[in-house]
Amino acid sequence: MTDRRARVTATVDACRFALARRDARAVVAVVGVGYLLAYLWVTDLLAIRPDAGTGWLLVDDPFARALERRGPISFEPVALLEFGYGTVLVSPIDVAIGAALAGLVGLNLALASLAVVRPAACGIDGSAGGAKKGAGAGLAAAVPALLSGSVCCAPAIALALGIQVSGALLATLPWLLPIGTALLVGSLGYLAGKIDVAPAATRESAARATGLEENR
Amino acid sequence: MTRRSRRSVLALAAVGLAGCLGGSGPGRSGPYDEGASGTEATPDGMTASPDDAALEASQVPTADEQLPVEYSLETLREATVREVVPRDGIPSIDDPAFEPVDESVDRLPGDPVFGVVRNGEAKAYPQSVLVHHEIVNDEIGGEPVAVTYCPLTGTAMGFERGDVEFGVSGHLLNSNLVMYDRAEESYWPQMLATAMEGPLEAASLVEFPVRWTTWERWTEAYPDSVVLASDQDYVRDYGNDPYGAYNPPSGYYAEDTDWTFAPLTADDRYPPKRPFLCSRPDDGPLAVSLEALQEHGVYGIGGDGREDDYLATYDPTFDVGHLYRVDDATEYGYDADAGAVIDPDGERRDPADLPLESVYAYDAMWFAWAGFYPSTSVHAHD
Repeated sequence: MTDRRARVTATVDACRFALARRDARAVVAVVGVGYLLAYLWVTDLLAIRPDAGTGWLLVDDPFARALERRGPISFEPVALLEFGYGTVLVSPIDVAIGAALAGLVGLNLALASLAVVRPAACGIDGSAGGAKKGAGAGLAAAVPALLSGSVCCAPAIALALGIQVSGALLATLPWLLPIGTALLVGSLGYLAGKIDVAPAATRESAARATGLEENR
Repeated sequence: MTRRSRRSVLALAAVGLAGCLGGSGPGRSGPYDEGASGTEATPDGMTASPDDAALEASQVPTADEQLPVEYSLETLREATVREVVPRDGIPSIDDPAFEPVDESVDRLPGDPVFGVVRNGEAKAYPQSVLVHHEIVNDEIGGEPVAVTYCPLTGTAMGFERGDVEFGVSGHLLNSNLVMYDRAEESYWPQMLATAMEGPLEAASLVEFPVRWTTWERWTEAYPDSVVLASDQDYVRDYGNDPYGAYNPPSGYYAEDTDWTFAPLTADDRYPPKRPFLCSRPDDGPLAVSLEALQEHGVYGIGGDGREDDYLATYDPTFDVGHLYRVDDATEYGYDADAGAVIDPDGERRDPADLPLESVYAYDAMWFAWAGFYPSTSVHAHD
């Protein structure tokens, strides 16, 4: 219980630390926006069409309509925006789901990048060569984060690629979103242990202490 | 559906009987994937009959006779892929809005539309709209009807509905739309038009033909008609077909592409998505290649143990086929220049309006038809 609480605290600290840094914030923003756009495109809410006009359309009762399900993890759009080069169907719940996933994927990649530049060499992984290991693990951890981020779109990707769909696959659809979310949160916790969130001064003194130990 | 353009000059075309022009029975050797992910169903025949009391109480108009079905109800139910989307997750249009065809914009001449003419009223339903709704509960010529379309099987069919609305159940059978009626909640696979479960199970609907044509052909033939508008109760991007495109065919609709859901029975003699004119008369189902029909103008079907002869005719006005029951199909010919059928007396007649018994037929993708009716005879070039 205490370990779990410590892991949660460490994860929150790592996320705060990442969001306080400009480079990590840039990673979160770029990856998050890119992921959200891809999510909307794969789920057919965003379409790029050169023949699209300009204008918008709103349904009569948007609040009730927004809660109507139209798929295992998708809900009714309440508006259509045409912006000249394409269209966006505004489905508030779908956008919220996509944004939450985009945030998690962005944070995962931000922590993975921090694991490269600020590996937890002196903390969790204190052995010789720990810095390298931490960085490698950080990069490796980005892979499951990306995979779990894409799991929600798997059915749409299967249909788009013409892959045959079985009843068994369809039965798994409602589970893909919670599984993907859990994997993203889990990998976030794993990555949090791979980076050093200590202030620079503390880090340097710890490094000197480690050097003294090694010189003895 | 975009098809090969008809030949500009075609002399009188001889009628080919089944067997003479490639008519053939069931088989399954060919180059296309039979679908490793599916388990084939055995066509064990329909033995169930509808419950008389349920028929008596039914608000849904039903046919006097059960339509031919080649599988038992149990087999159909087992093969149904349930809740692909939630019920009404694909929303039917229940209060359709129309606009005059001459005021409708953003449509290309070759874009597919489904045309219906009943009691003197003509209405067009764009494929681009129906692909997002699949069912329109409408009134045509004062009669309540359901105009339905299944994108996965390429079938557009009309049904009488009385005061009952149909909705999209979210289930698929043999890739085909399974409708449900909102009165008694029986489940109706569109292509079978026969309920597979519910109080009206084994009962059949009353069908009427829907013409699968193009926007240009429809507006030329019916310039004063109306077309289903793009402004409906539910908001969709009608310029974006989630499956592909028909003008020209691409994505899921491309002839050579595989099915997404394995069919009841796989038959890979022809490209899976190739359109055929299909019918299920009592003496056995049949499928006529629309390409062959376009080329020959008329196509005779007989022999092979059939009680009757049938005549398929090509209607160049709408680029569609029609089917008739005839005494002797070999007596008919086709004048390609006039786009007319030549009857046994040498008279030129409108292929859409022959003084013969009309037999209900509809266009369907090959894999879907062969899946539902594996005993079908096939009438094609190859």
